[in-house]
Amino acid sequence: MKESERTSIVLTIITGAFAVLTVAFLFNIWGHTAPLPQIPLVDPAFIQTKTVRTSYAELAASKQDLSDFDCYGCHEKGKPPILRFDDKHILVVPEEHKDIVMGHGRNNRNNLCTNCHDENNLEHFQTRDGRELKFSESSQLCGSCHGPTFRDWNAGAHGRTSGHWNREMGAFTRKDCVSCHNPHSPKFPGRQPAPAPHTLHFTGKPSPSAEGEH
Amino acid sequence: MSDHPSNGERNPAPDADGMSRRSFLRMSAVFGSGLAALAAGLSPLRELQNFPSLDEFMQKYYKELTPAEMEKVLKRIELEVERQYGIRPHVRDLKPIDGVEFAYCLNLTRCIGCRKCVHACVAENNQSRSPEIQYIRVLQMQNGSMDMEKAVHDYNPEKVPEKGHFYMPVQCQQCKNPPCVKVCPVHATWQEPDGITVIDYNWCIGCRYCEAACPYWARRFNFTKPTIPKDRLNPNMDYLSNRPRPQGTMEKCHFCLQRTRAGRYPACVEVCPTGTRKFGNVLDPNSEVSYILKNKRVFIQLKEELGTSPRFFYYFDV
Repeated sequence: MKESERTSIVLTIITGAFAVLTVAFLFNIWGHTAPLPQIPLVDPAFIQTKTVRTSYAELAASKQDLSDFDCYGCHEKGKPPILRFDDKHILVVPEEHKDIVMGHGRNNRNNLCTNCHDENNLEHFQTRDGRELKFSESSQLCGSCHGPTFRDWNAGAHGRTSGHWNREMGAFTRKDCVSCHNPHSPKFPGRQPAPAPHTLHFTGKPSPSAEGEH
Repeated sequence: MSDHPSNGERNPAPDADGMSRRSFLRMSAVFGSGLAALAAGLSPLRELQNFPSLDEFMQKYYKELTPAEMEKVLKRIELEVERQYGIRPHVRDLKPIDGVEFAYCLNLTRCIGCRKCVHACVAENNQSRSPEIQYIRVLQMQNGSMDMEKAVHDYNPEKVPEKGHFYMPVQCQQCKNPPCVKVCPVHATWQEPDGITVIDYNWCIGCRYCEAACPYWARRFNFTKPTIPKDRLNPNMDYLSNRPRPQGTMEKCHFCLQRTRAGRYPACVEVCPTGTRKFGNVLDPNSEVSYILKNKRVFIQLKEELGTSPRFFYYFDV
């Protein structure tokens, strides 16, 4: 009798415990992990393969507006423009060309339009060794001073090459100097970096850098 | 059973087995509730999905597949991707080209740390967006030091490059002597004749030994099923490279095999705004990489003292 009662109680407790477990499992009361924070998708601008600038040759090839290169729309033929300098012998960029930043070479070493532009034919370039070049041949002009870089560029080691590494399987293009460098201020401009990696223990903001922890 | 028929007159008459009606009900209540608890405990199994099909489960090792079997496998993957993403991809199995060994050169003078390569790689290779898997990690280094302990990877200034730093992107170095291949217990990763170390995602068991063995932290693990937005899926796929990976497998940079074995440049080369990244066939004496290795100051293979002999070279402009 006593034993039987004890059995009843134990069995009832076990049944109750199983019932509680059933409910707990069904409603998953302890199993809810916090959802991982959603990492935002990257702006497609960061995966564009465009170069930072568009060269004259590319503009001409895609039949875009070339009016910026129509020098004799304003200048008079056969009359070289007169250059003005301030009292420190620094070239004064005229109002009509004020979008040009003269930043080619340090310490104003390249402080003269006619170093590259031909004053007698403004729609041509002139090299220091006396060659006449068209706007579309600007890379040759750059190469007339920047020899080693030009050599590397020709070999594909400097600058952008796109298309096919295997020249038998498809075409490739080598970008002109001015597709990346502004000829009047050639230093490659800084740009906004694409989003940083979100670390494993993502908190919504970048983790403290390794440098900060040391 | 603890109920003895002889135990008292209050107990109802026992049946032939020596079990009373009451004790039977009691026992079935315990048994029934136990079963219910077990069933409820197993209920999360209902949420299990993406069981491999029998064909997928029984699929042979990549190197043992005959061309006809491969054809079938590629078809199956195409259908599976279409079912999941609504886009019919073009899955191929491109083989290494004869007489080609890939090499990669990266110009540390030119890199500005803009991380465009990282995201172009993610887009090209269908990596998981959230949680995030990226093959390339760009390290911001202190000028005049190669101390990677002091490198920062989550720099986020308004504009890069920052003064006093240079930037060193690190990805799979495609070693000639790859430690990751040596440790794989099931040969799910191996080096191809063109120098690319590849992974058979269907053969990988997810033990992550290779991740531990790699001195460049180049391997990534799919802890969850990768999430790829449908509109950003790249349909140009290859079996060994950028087809969507199953959960629980390793992945890593494979020099954009689906592009490079078709003669094109990898996505990271195409997107680099500064021309920092150079790629080509090192066996071709006229290739860009051959020119760089011959003429430029190629000063490191990363951690070259480990003897892994990477096919990834860092150089400076002279």
